[in-house]
Amino acid sequence: MSRTSAWKRWPGWLALFLVVGGLLAYGAVKDSGPLTPEERVEEITKRIACPVCDGETVYESANPSSVAIRAEVKAQVAQAQNSDDEIVAFIVQQFGDQTQLVPNATGFDSLVWILPAMALVCAAVGLFFAFRKWKHNVDAVPDDDDRARVAEAMAAEEPDGVES
Amino acid sequence: MSEPQVDLGDDSPAKPRRVAPFVVLGVLVVMIALFVVLAGSSSGPKDEVGLIESPLLGRAAPTVRSTTLDDTPFDLARRKGSWVVVNFFNSTCAPCRAEHPELVKFAEQQRSFGADGAELYTMLQINDDIDRVKSFFLSRGGDWPIVRDDEGTVNVDFGVALVPETFIIDPDGVVVVRWAGQIDAETLSRLVQQQRDLYELS
Repeated sequence: MSRTSAWKRWPGWLALFLVVGGLLAYGAVKDSGPLTPEERVEEITKRIACPVCDGETVYESANPSSVAIRAEVKAQVAQAQNSDDEIVAFIVQQFGDQTQLVPNATGFDSLVWILPAMALVCAAVGLFFAFRKWKHNVDAVPDDDDRARVAEAMAAEEPDGVES
Repeated sequence: MSEPQVDLGDDSPAKPRRVAPFVVLGVLVVMIALFVVLAGSSSGPKDEVGLIESPLLGRAAPTVRSTTLDDTPFDLARRKGSWVVVNFFNSTCAPCRAEHPELVKFAEQQRSFGADGAELYTMLQINDDIDRVKSFFLSRGGDWPIVRDDEGTVNVDFGVALVPETFIIDPDGVVVVRWAGQIDAETLSRLVQQQRDLYELS
């Protein structure tokens, strides 16, 4: 494939990149409007793990401690004095780090967010170089030296025929 | 049958580097590290029994304003000046029921000290059945106040996830001991006495 035809495909890749990047950015920052208190309680309790049971959020657990936490979150939301993050931080302070389902985006915890993104970038770069290498191999055309070596090798094989 | 071997001479291209073993090694190291981290991590308060850490230790006890089972108003702040033991309880919890005779014994011991004895309070969980609690205390004994937590705020403020749990609060209203799981009368008396000695020294 010629270099010119490869360049011709760049606008398509660029358009794809812009569309995907734009949609991801929109999804990340879109504001669906103010939440009702019930929606806030639901969102907050889904971010907190039941302190006693395995694999359940406070939102879905029927354990007394989860019921108490739901009531506390509801009370704090009704007071309208603390943000969602502050309410979650209060519960985590009371019951321990294991109740925090969504890791912080700061400090050591931020590795949880950074590492997958780095892995994605490394994988994309690796694939780019791999594809380029494979394309070069496909485009390789034997030169006169290559033909001469093959002919020499074939001639060397002729007396005995094909090796078994 | 094999293809004829072709000698490409000394100027043949360099042998490609083998990357796969390094990738496998890297994945293996990451998997082992993850296994070690997960195996060594605590899965929550259910793992802990005995004296445990709490952000409340050394701080003023949370506000507790509620009513007892017989509808008497209860305010923990008004207990300042006395040693207070708060035991978190649920009538459906087997360890709580098993622990109960020890608390009865502890209450009797403390009563024998007169005004110097520690006061014992039972703190209920949010959704406990009040009739079942009354029936339990009626049949198993225990005449100390049983405090309701209908809003669940007391359990959250004390960070109680799994009952039974016991807190000791000094005469200044400061939380000095948090005990997770069942406790016996002897241990509880010893802990109160230890704290009493430390308090008198300070």
